[in-house]
Amino acid sequence: MGADADVAGRGVLARIGGTLSSLVFPVSERQRERRRIVVLCLPFLALLAFSGVFPLTEMFRISFSEARLTTEGFTLEYYRQLVVDPYYRTIAVNTLWFAAATTVASIAVAVPVAHSLEKYDLPGKSVMLTVLSFPNSLPGIVAAFMIIVLFGNTGIITNFIAALSGQSPIDLAIATSVLGLFFAYLYSMIPRALLLLRGTYAEVNTDAEEAARSLGASPLKTFWYVTLPQIKPGLIGAFVLVFRTALAIFGTILILKSLLVWTLQIDREIAQGFNIAQASAMATVWFVFVFAFTLLALKYTSAEVSI
Amino acid sequence: MGSRFESGSLSARYGRQFVTLVLAATLVFLALPVVLTFVSSFAGEWVGALPSGFVTLENWNDVIVGTGVGADASVGSSLAYSAGLALAGVLINLIVGVPIAYAVARYEFWGRDWVNVFAILPLAPGIILGIAFLRTYPDLSTSGIALVIGYSLLKAPYMVMAVQSSFQSMDLQQIEESARSLGASWPRTFLTVIVPNAKAGIIAGSIISWTLAAAEFNFSYIVYSRGTPPLSIFLFNNITNASFLNAAAAVSVFFLLIALVTISLQIVGNRGAVRRL
Amino acid sequence: MSDVKLQNVTKRFDSTLAVDDVSLEIGDGEVLGIVGPSGCGKTTSLRLVAGFETATDGSILYDGEDVTHVPPENRNVGLVFQSYALFNNMTVLGNVTFGPKMQGVGKAERRERAQELLDLLDIGELADRDPQTLSGGQQRRVGLARALAIEPRILLLDEPMTGLDAKLKQTLRQELGDLLDELGVTTLYVTHDQEQAMSMCDRIAVMNEGVVEQVGTPSEVYESPENEFVANFVGTSNLLQGTIRDGRVDFGFTELDAEGLPERDDATIAVRPDDFTVGEGPITAEVQNLFYLGEKVQALATLDDGTELTLELDRHRDSVSVGDALALDIDATHLHVIRQ
Repeated sequence: MGADADVAGRGVLARIGGTLSSLVFPVSERQRERRRIVVLCLPFLALLAFSGVFPLTEMFRISFSEARLTTEGFTLEYYRQLVVDPYYRTIAVNTLWFAAATTVASIAVAVPVAHSLEKYDLPGKSVMLTVLSFPNSLPGIVAAFMIIVLFGNTGIITNFIAALSGQSPIDLAIATSVLGLFFAYLYSMIPRALLLLRGTYAEVNTDAEEAARSLGASPLKTFWYVTLPQIKPGLIGAFVLVFRTALAIFGTILILKSLLVWTLQIDREIAQGFNIAQASAMATVWFVFVFAFTLLALKYTSAEVSI
Repeated sequence: MGSRFESGSLSARYGRQFVTLVLAATLVFLALPVVLTFVSSFAGEWVGALPSGFVTLENWNDVIVGTGVGADASVGSSLAYSAGLALAGVLINLIVGVPIAYAVARYEFWGRDWVNVFAILPLAPGIILGIAFLRTYPDLSTSGIALVIGYSLLKAPYMVMAVQSSFQSMDLQQIEESARSLGASWPRTFLTVIVPNAKAGIIAGSIISWTLAAAEFNFSYIVYSRGTPPLSIFLFNNITNASFLNAAAAVSVFFLLIALVTISLQIVGNRGAVRRL
Repeated sequence: MSDVKLQNVTKRFDSTLAVDDVSLEIGDGEVLGIVGPSGCGKTTSLRLVAGFETATDGSILYDGEDVTHVPPENRNVGLVFQSYALFNNMTVLGNVTFGPKMQGVGKAERRERAQELLDLLDIGELADRDPQTLSGGQQRRVGLARALAIEPRILLLDEPMTGLDAKLKQTLRQELGDLLDELGVTTLYVTHDQEQAMSMCDRIAVMNEGVVEQVGTPSEVYESPENEFVANFVGTSNLLQGTIRDGRVDFGFTELDAEGLPERDDATIAVRPDDFTVGEGPITAEVQNLFYLGEKVQALATLDDGTELTLELDRHRDSVSVGDALALDIDATHLHVIRQ
């Protein structure tokens, strides 16, 4: 029995040794190809390990640390806080509903925009595309500034409405209200959603749409029964990725400060007393939640993966 | 039957107007503040409904030279610093991104789909990665190395996707095998045939990941501790501390940068399109 | 140039057997075609010869030297793909000089050699062009010049004409055939199109499900197919059951002299569509359908007992229509008994 296990163990070792030696000294073309794949993947995996997996693991360990400045002992105190303290529960609820609401809104805007870009013959399309993708390169703090320009005390829309209604612009300024934040989120998220949906729209089978129209379906019915089922996987994929984006927004809210969300609280843990263990626990919860959510979504929707 | 006919005629009559209206509103929403910011950066003051006191270069002067208050540093040093950091990040992205894009596009292997997901989906966003870096690499954060390796991980997906789109238009297996049958070793094939053929995608990916690294705020904000602030921190300081018009000028500097990048990308893209004909 | 041998070569991918104990020999300067339906193992065989796959079993010899484990870049094989796979980052000349450059040939010499080849292929004036600006036919020539520039021990052509229109295919077939004759390069030509292979190759090997069914000159394979698969794949055959006795073959519906055929009670006999004489004879068949195949017209006809025959109409094509009763005879000189 023991001897058998030993032989089996040696067999496994021999196999591993064989695989390793075939990687270093390949003889067949298949083995050479395997070596190439390893060589090609290695730099990325090294970067992933060094600047992704290792820091995240450290973060995970710190979130259980008893000591403040070194990683020592084991405590669930910080996670207990997140569950028990109503303060954190409120933040979690705020974060989720706000992200969900802005995601739905930005996709609701992006669908007709993508539709018009794909189906209509519009003048100046390339300029429109530039305008619509420009905010993808802007950091969240600039998006926040854009909202101040539109809806702040001297904001153009604020003053326009003030002139119409006769009210004071100060009372009408919404830049630093939750509604203003909502628009600031949309400023970053609509272009992102659009980027994803345009790819989906480009693949829609227009023959089927034309067939539906020729059979007497109205444009709305055609959209509902023919186009929508075709873009559904793309829509779900866009929903997943835009929701991720919404949860990750930080710079925008750091400037506008109108709603306490998870990322802002993470920063506050650091800024107010450098409570890195609590911040790490919050970041870990964020990471695990989004990671699991993305994996599940990708697995069960077979959504196209792209950014 | 009647109702279906009615709803049909409704959407046939107003559907297009409605959709076009949404498009127009979106365009205004996205473009108007950009234009206003740029215009007002040349204004002397903005107290009422519209900025006034044109044309002055005072705000730009404050941003470019620095005032010593509010936005303490000048944009030049931040811009140069960020440009350098982002460039270092792009170099790393080239080294890690081009090979992995090729591996996924060319070969079938166990776990390929997962490698692809990790290569084109950011593992963690800037703020989470920033927190993870704080205690893991405390010594690196002052030198900018932490920023560089963080940027390269955060922006690698954009490089990988751009290069992959180039690879998708090539028959990789036949090109690789042709070169090898002609006597080129595999590394030589990769460097002298495969990489030059994907030039358009590599340039586009470099420009995109450079811009996004230069603009990265969330990660920089958490990790940056002292010394020359990266461009996004400089913008943040201006937006939160400087006068509105100074902030407008600072943001406008950034707009110009993005505009420059967009134009160069279009040049690369057009040349790529011409070459593909 | 070399002679190339595959000795009992087997290639297994996980659980599927792509090439099963194949032995083939390509003589020095010979053009060997491998034909077969898709998935028969012909492309795998070519990749084994090139070195892009390593044989699971058996060996590959170039001039008697075992190259089974030699990587492709050290084999000196010229490879031409269906898609040409030109390097778009180089000019036409850059493509053609690439191979000699890898071999360490000096700059002046490799340019000269490349220019010679381009001239030979009538594309000398395209040397400085970007390959992407060339027509399909020109790109194909560049691909060929590139493969020939390394003076390959063997030239491998993988479906080089698939996807071209019929007319161009015919011109190129002629050209390529002449060129291969002229250069005397050992060539392995892989295609699913048996007509092309028959017209261009010195010998052809018919493959099916990883196995070589028959090797021979085009006429041997056409006239004397060794089994039903070959009889059906190379051209069209009517496989008829009959009894051969005392120098006569009895098909049931007719009987004729058959000198030289082996005596058998239940023989399968291949009758080509052009073995029928139409117009007079003891057999009567009713025309069911007519097929216009370019220059030829084929008819599908049935006998009284329901046997279906495919036959060729040439001089009579104008006078025949569906539903007609045709008088037929069989020309016994080409009859061939399939080995069971």
